[in-house]
Amino acid sequence: MGQLWDGFVEAIRLIFTLDSTVLEITFRTVLVSGTATLLAMAVGVPLGYALARGRFRGRNIALGLVYTGMGFPPVVVGLFVWLMLVRSGPLGDLELIYTRQAMVIAQFVISVPLVIGFTAASIQSLPPRLGDLLASLGAGRIRTLVYLAREARLGLLAAVMAGFGAVISEVGASQTVGGNLEGETRVLTTAIVLATSRGQNEQAIALGVILLSLALAVNLLLTFVQQRPR
Amino acid sequence: MHIHLSGIHFRYQRDPVLEIPGLDINEGRVTALLGPNGAGKSTLLRVIAGLERPASGEVTIGGRPIRNARDASSLVAYGFQESVFLGGTIRKNLDVALRLRKLPAEERKSRIEDLARACDIVPLLDRKADHVSVGEGRRATLARTLALRAPVTLLDEPLAALDAPTRESLLSTLPRLLREYASTTVIVTHDRSEAVRLADDIVIIIGGRVRLVAPRQAAFSNPPDEETAAFLGYHMLDTEGGRQAIAPGVLQPGPGDVSFHFQVETVLRTPAGHEVLGAIDSTRLTVHLPLGAAIPAPGATITVSAPSSAILQFDSASTPAR
Repeated sequence: MGQLWDGFVEAIRLIFTLDSTVLEITFRTVLVSGTATLLAMAVGVPLGYALARGRFRGRNIALGLVYTGMGFPPVVVGLFVWLMLVRSGPLGDLELIYTRQAMVIAQFVISVPLVIGFTAASIQSLPPRLGDLLASLGAGRIRTLVYLAREARLGLLAAVMAGFGAVISEVGASQTVGGNLEGETRVLTTAIVLATSRGQNEQAIALGVILLSLALAVNLLLTFVQQRPR
Repeated sequence: MHIHLSGIHFRYQRDPVLEIPGLDINEGRVTALLGPNGAGKSTLLRVIAGLERPASGEVTIGGRPIRNARDASSLVAYGFQESVFLGGTIRKNLDVALRLRKLPAEERKSRIEDLARACDIVPLLDRKADHVSVGEGRRATLARTLALRAPVTLLDEPLAALDAPTRESLLSTLPRLLREYASTTVIVTHDRSEAVRLADDIVIIIGGRVRLVAPRQAAFSNPPDEETAAFLGYHMLDTEGGRQAIAPGVLQPGPGDVSFHFQVETVLRTPAGHEVLGAIDSTRLTVHLPLGAAIPAPGATITVSAPSSAILQFDSASTPAR
């Protein structure tokens, strides 16, 4: 209990003294996970819409694959991305392994099925004729997507929360493709693992408190947007 | 605007849903697409609106080809059978519909108020769309559809699943609303009485094929085949070499032009007399007895008759021999 309390005290000290290392790791964490989530939204929302509304052969198989992807272990995703990006791999010439970009790619792969799945489910929960109504009123594809996204915003913001929550808290993929390089690819989760392995429990707890606070702040913000009365 | 369909073939997966070589829907008239459930009426309406693309064939409205909903959107106002609303109030829903038609704010406001009064939904305007009843939703849908004042108004089962008083109230208002706010109108219904009360012309669709196109007055007297006759309520009797179709409501107790032996099963008292349920041969039907007529006992066999003009004879190829 004393160790936990010491961890909290250390966390408060690190935060309020604006510890440069902690700030840098926190900023990098937000940057990597935020970028991955934004990219996942850009790709996942239209794909989720297409899966929800489209009538094409193999749609159910595609949905099944997406739902399987929603539960994919991050460390396996990390391994897959590592095999692609490692110098001897098919994309090795891009020299992305052990960079922030590699971490963004891995986190994108982790979050995109979540965004697609939540988007598809939220669009499918809308009245089935809503798209037809908008089309019959003369709304083009983009405007129809905007109106439907507005209608499905509860589910879409849940998609953001799920996507961001999954990547900001994962450690396996970031460790595998980022390498936890100090000043380069170290993020909160990999820093916690390192601190724990070195026996720096107070620091690990402090970083854990910061990570939880960060996730809580982002999710509270999104929840307020989501639950705003219409 | 005149609606023209030619060579329409529409399939769902591999099953044919519509096979319509040609159909013309006249400008400025109310046309009912009448047929049993699953006949393809709503699919035909969706094809006209460009919401479904047929495997082959062409739809034109006022001479302009309709290939998708965008082609049709400036010409057509579509009233869906289900209550389909965006989140927010009924007023917002009407406003969004008019805004998508690029109408200025003043015009939108004026149309919303006008149609809200006409469709009796003024108290609903500021209610959330998901807090209205089925009947209120139908009125709101109608208001939204008519507010568009499109050259062609398409209404998919506007009175389906309503309770009797709500249905009657809307059924009595609808002709006036269509006269005032719509031009060429196509209404899908499976109810013969609705078609009679609402439409100038009737198109009967059974099994994805147009069986009959006729003005209202003539639609029910000359069914072209047995299936259509049965759908229109004709009583079908097996005879040598074919089948006989007796028009609905023409059987009277006692001998006449064409007489039949009617086996009485049950007698029900109604405000206007008695309904006698029974059978001629194996065909079950009902004969109406006016007040004061002798009431037969269940199990008895009585003579009933119909005027020969109300009886059609179909040969074995299901074409009328009369």
